[in-house]
Amino acid sequence: MTTMRTRVALVAVALGALACDQGLVPLPLCPPGLVGICGKVTFRGALPDSTDLVYVVAYATVPTTQNDLFTFQPQNPPKLQLDSAGRATPQPYALNLPPGTYHWVLAAWKKQGILSPQSADSLLREAGFYRDPIDTSKAGTVVVAGAVAGVDFTVDFTNMHPVSYYFPASRSHP
Amino acid sequence: MSLRYAIALAFLVGARLDAQGIGVLHGSVTDSAGRGLDHVRVRALRRIDGTRVIAIRFTDASGAYRFDSLSAGGWLVIDAGRIGYGMARDTVLIVAGDSVRLDFRLPVLPIIVSPTIVTAAKRSQLLDQAVTSVSLVDEQQIARRAVNTIDEAVDKAPGVQFLAGQVNVRGSSGFVEGLGSRVLLLVDGVPANQGDRGGINWDIVPVDEVARVEVVKGAGSALYGSSAFGGIVNLISRELPEGWHARVRTTGGVFANPPHPEWGFRDYTGIQDGIDVAGSFGHGPVRAGLSAGARHSDGYRQQDRADHWQVTGRGAWRPEPATVVNLSGAWASDQYQVPEPWCANKECADSGLAFQPFLINTNNIGNRTRSDKGYFTAVVTRTPSERTTWLARASWLRTHFTDAYPQRRPPFSTADYSIANRVGFEGRVVSRPDSLHVVTAGLEITRSDDFSNVFSGNPGNTRTHIEGAYAAYAEAEQTVGRLRFTIGARGDFLAIDGGGITAFVSPRAGAVWSTASGAWRATLGRAFRAPSLAERFVSTYALGFPVVPNPALESEDGWSAEVGRTWTPRPWLRGDAAVFYTQARRLIEPVLLIKDSSLVIQFQNVQRARIMGLDLTVTATPLPPHLTTTLAYQLLDARDQSLDSALLFRPRHLLTLSTDYGWRSFGAGADFRFSSRFERQDPLFQGDPRVPGKVLDVRASWSARSLAVHLKVANVFNYIYNFAPRVLEPVRTATLTITYSY
Repeated sequence: MTTMRTRVALVAVALGALACDQGLVPLPLCPPGLVGICGKVTFRGALPDSTDLVYVVAYATVPTTQNDLFTFQPQNPPKLQLDSAGRATPQPYALNLPPGTYHWVLAAWKKQGILSPQSADSLLREAGFYRDPIDTSKAGTVVVAGAVAGVDFTVDFTNMHPVSYYFPASRSHP
Repeated sequence: MSLRYAIALAFLVGARLDAQGIGVLHGSVTDSAGRGLDHVRVRALRRIDGTRVIAIRFTDASGAYRFDSLSAGGWLVIDAGRIGYGMARDTVLIVAGDSVRLDFRLPVLPIIVSPTIVTAAKRSQLLDQAVTSVSLVDEQQIARRAVNTIDEAVDKAPGVQFLAGQVNVRGSSGFVEGLGSRVLLLVDGVPANQGDRGGINWDIVPVDEVARVEVVKGAGSALYGSSAFGGIVNLISRELPEGWHARVRTTGGVFANPPHPEWGFRDYTGIQDGIDVAGSFGHGPVRAGLSAGARHSDGYRQQDRADHWQVTGRGAWRPEPATVVNLSGAWASDQYQVPEPWCANKECADSGLAFQPFLINTNNIGNRTRSDKGYFTAVVTRTPSERTTWLARASWLRTHFTDAYPQRRPPFSTADYSIANRVGFEGRVVSRPDSLHVVTAGLEITRSDDFSNVFSGNPGNTRTHIEGAYAAYAEAEQTVGRLRFTIGARGDFLAIDGGGITAFVSPRAGAVWSTASGAWRATLGRAFRAPSLAERFVSTYALGFPVVPNPALESEDGWSAEVGRTWTPRPWLRGDAAVFYTQARRLIEPVLLIKDSSLVIQFQNVQRARIMGLDLTVTATPLPPHLTTTLAYQLLDARDQSLDSALLFRPRHLLTLSTDYGWRSFGAGADFRFSSRFERQDPLFQGDPRVPGKVLDVRASWSARSLAVHLKVANVFNYIYNFAPRVLEPVRTATLTITYSY
């Protein structure tokens, strides 16, 4: 009888010990091993009915021609989650990028339809971009050597700009 | 006295004893760990035509006893016994003119008797006679847990949980940065919550001075008024023994470093150390004791150094057998860096991590606090007859803190300070007109004042606020067969700054039905808590927002009920279970709101809440007296009925497993505490991680007659967690405590 009681007590202590797994652990803002950028996207405004996708892409230089438009990185950019749950709170994202300097990190909204160089102006919109923390009227620059966290910006569906907003009708940089 | 006179005196005493044919028997009674036991009944029996008791003595506070004049010339049987311990017996031959020493060691039998408590009914009663649930933390538990402050020992009591230093009894308080505790602290029955914040300074009484702690769960306003909304914690001091005694307690320990190198914050191992020295003297009707101590800690986080000093004095005078005057006072000073809240993303060199729990926001670098506090109490207790006892007490509690924020910018001050006094008077009568009735009645007056720039009600200005509280209470108990009925009420009348008086009546009714294997109990009572001066008039800057005053804040109140059962189905098994229910309204909580186009924090009466649950404790001694195990479980369903969601900072499950094994002078034990993950996220810290609490403490001890060594490793697995927002709970800490008693 006493042996059984002792065993029960020892088992209880052992279970208690085993239950002490890790609590808080380091939570990288960027996925482990990432070379590129990561951050959070905050959504503003109602999602347009004609929405197909919203990508996050980065440009080494701000495009100034139609040909530059397709020099974005990465080649398979991640899509943001656009259902109501995904837009309710800031949404994390991560971009794998080759090391280098990137002068324009933005969210590109795509309307439903087949994308081509000819349809780009009607189907694509700049929906928001990472801004210079010092001068928020300008785009921020990111230097990638490893993982760069905190590249946060806002997607504003009520204030999107077509390709022609930047070129060739207007060459003003963001 | 010279040696020559001493020898002469010894000779004369021996000659006198020899001449009268009598001898002296003396010795000590200790527990299995070698600690002296007081109030042990020691009987001398002689076997002549059966066994006949010829003398009885009781041990003093050090465990010593002495028979000065036993008839010599025969063998005597000497036995020693005390409630809670097994009986010990031996035989001794008394020789005329000689002195014989006989020591006893009593085995612990903690589960077959009901201890005496003094808090639940403001008078002495057996634990099984209380209408509410009561948990006890005794001297042995405090000693073997090798703690530095008493809250560390109370933390493991069933149904009790500390959240970053704020005590919760059955989920009563939650976490409000130490303001407005819903638990009342008593020091030897004297209220000791702060006059300004209503919170508790747990280090105001040195842990080495505490003999036991009584935790009364549930509403206690019917006898204790405000603050006893969710429970009462009574710290009961050691008795001052006869003769000269001294005690030295030293502590040293090390903190583990962060388990992940990304969280590293220093290149050395943090330590803590401390020393307490106590001395006492008792002779006849006069007893006095004095203790002093100091502690230092490097802390386990960035900017976490702390220093503590304290002095405590106590005295007792018994001018006649029926009257005793107790005086006690303490002063403690703490100077510590403020390591909270931890660093979130971009608030420090975060190394690309979402948070750095061992670092703080760089805007808070340099924050520190100096906190001085002291109290003085005088209590006169007189028992003029077996039927009546009366008590009168006066008490004064003073707190003075200064929080320094060197990086603050105007309009907020770089130093918040508050000087508060709480002066109280109480008169109480306990009458037992016959063996079936007990009546307790009393009057209580409390005056709190606070001179402060942070609780002034006007940012940047300094002002004094005064709160007066006047109360009368009475409670009667009647016994009918196996039933004990209790009914009573307390009326409290409160006035702030000489304004209008607010009245509260807190009734309570209860019953206890004794059975062969234990007792059933039931109680229903009203509880209330008046907002503290700090909650009404706070004007500061916290968590990135201005905190604005709310002088119109009202008291919170509620009804609390419980049905409980204690039972002892086997001699080695004791259980206590209770279901409880509290319906509260106008709970005071900090609220983030827009005022004059700015986001501000203000304390408001916002919540209707319901807290219900199950409180279960099972203690078994399967290998008496060597092995003791305790399982305590609390199921809590705490709902914010205003928001139809879970109440913040209350775990649904709280489990404590404890075991202790003793063999001769050695002991070993462990405590495991599981606290489930809070169900609701603090809206001020959306996105912060939430994890359950899972902490294992282990300990070992060795003790001899006057020396005790305790080794404890708290949080063995270095489990990293938090309960309060962005406040890291302690990491693995190894502590060695050595106590020498004379």
